[in-house]
Amino acid sequence: MEGLVALTELAAALPTGQLLPVSEEQVGQYLGEDWEFVYRNSDYLLWGTVVTILLTLTSILLGFLAGFPAGAIEAYGSGYSRAFVRKFGVLLRGTPILVIMIFTYFVLPIEIVLDAAQFGLRSIEYVLGPTPFTVPTDVPDAFIAATIALGFRSAAYQSQIFRGALGSIDEGQMEAARSIGMSRLSAIRHVIVPQAMRRSVPGFQNEFTIVLKDTSIAFAIGLGELLKRSHDLFTQQTTAVLEVILFISLIYFVLTFGTNRTLDYVSNRFAIPGESS
Amino acid sequence: MSDRSKTTDGTVRERGADASESARGTEPLLRIEDVHKSYGDEEVLRGIDLEIDRGDVEVLVGPSGSGKSTLLRCLNRLTEVDSGHIYLGETEVTAPDTDPNAVRQQIGMVFQDINLFAHLTARKNVTLGLRKVRGLSAAEARQRADSELDRVGLADQADSYPAQLSGGQKQRVGIARALAMDPEVMLFDEPTSALDPELSNEVLEVMQGLVAEGMTMVVVTHEMRFARGGASEITFLADGEIVERGPPETLFENPEHERTKQFFESIRHE
Repeated sequence: MEGLVALTELAAALPTGQLLPVSEEQVGQYLGEDWEFVYRNSDYLLWGTVVTILLTLTSILLGFLAGFPAGAIEAYGSGYSRAFVRKFGVLLRGTPILVIMIFTYFVLPIEIVLDAAQFGLRSIEYVLGPTPFTVPTDVPDAFIAATIALGFRSAAYQSQIFRGALGSIDEGQMEAARSIGMSRLSAIRHVIVPQAMRRSVPGFQNEFTIVLKDTSIAFAIGLGELLKRSHDLFTQQTTAVLEVILFISLIYFVLTFGTNRTLDYVSNRFAIPGESS
Repeated sequence: MSDRSKTTDGTVRERGADASESARGTEPLLRIEDVHKSYGDEEVLRGIDLEIDRGDVEVLVGPSGSGKSTLLRCLNRLTEVDSGHIYLGETEVTAPDTDPNAVRQQIGMVFQDINLFAHLTARKNVTLGLRKVRGLSAAEARQRADSELDRVGLADQADSYPAQLSGGQKQRVGIARALAMDPEVMLFDEPTSALDPELSNEVLEVMQGLVAEGMTMVVVTHEMRFARGGASEITFLADGEIVERGPPETLFENPEHERTKQFFESIRHE
């Protein structure tokens, strides 16, 4: 309650028509020096937020690029490909994310990974023609290691989301598509996948939130994301631990809430008319 | 819809006469030779032989588990036969080097559980095959789809999604989807079994319309009104074998076999 009163007083003290920037002194005067400390360093934390968002996006993207085909192979594949994907998935899902990340950072040679990515991109360009993508050369190793760890772990879970969604589509849909002369692949692409993608949104929503929150694990390998930067701050001013943690919790909450609402919107936007989702 | 049903009765008889005349001396359109199919230890088809002429309407009846749906699915290779041969005109459907996708374009199928593509509008359900299989342009496919939807009386529902349609409307879209591929034969696998009697009628009327147009049809159904009014031949199957085959009047009124008689009596009591 005291804080709330202080906030209203603070708002009242502001010159009209000019809400921002509130001066550091004003914050310090009304909320105490620890909040003043947070406020003074908020740009440092906001850049950490940018890193967190970027890491989430790259990891989710890698997770999708690896996880969707993996799910399709689990649903439709056979023999060695399916066995390999299953075993790799079990391995990834059975290993703590912190262990995976320490492995990708300290053991996996990042140069080789980048060379492989370069080779992959070249191959794609050889087939499809020039693409606007380049393999990054100036990205910190920790960011790449974190992306690989979070990305492949997410792929292991996303594959299950897609496998389940693909499997949930009624067999009659495939039969109907085949009965008009569509090939199996064409039927999967034009009939099964569009329906399965819609059904995988709720699972994907969870996965997005999990990856977003788990970017904080990259703290362990020293990547300057949100948690690492907050740690930097509260070790500098140890009395401000609560304030710093509250502040970044709020940021995490806004991010997860925002993405969930966005995905809700996407889900509704693409819902099949007449069907309850 | 209603104007079609009005003309149906008269034209059915006429067409029947025409077809039998023109078919004389020509190859049957569909030829089924000694088809066997087992699921595990259970043999569901025990040597089926059947010839269906162009323009004929073959109705398959029989108790459940008699193999009639399986036989139908063998015709377009949704189910593969264990042995035996099926020919569509000159093509052997069952030959290993026959592309099933090519054959299926010539054999339309309508399903008991309808199976409309749930994520597509009625129109797009019809255009999908035209676009992706036939390679028609968007405009051509759309035009074709709209005329097929009009043929089943659903021109005004082209933009509705399956979940917004009644069961009978859905099944009519299913028929339009199959017809759009311009098939030589239409297979109907209990097309009205999943529908209320009230909704069955609109589907049966569309089917009667096809009969009147001279479409070759193989129909698995429990609708004896359709069998009586639309069939050129009725085949009675039991335990994976053809027990008896003949024109509707004979099978309904004067069946040769005791088993056939029992079956028709049992459904009359329903």
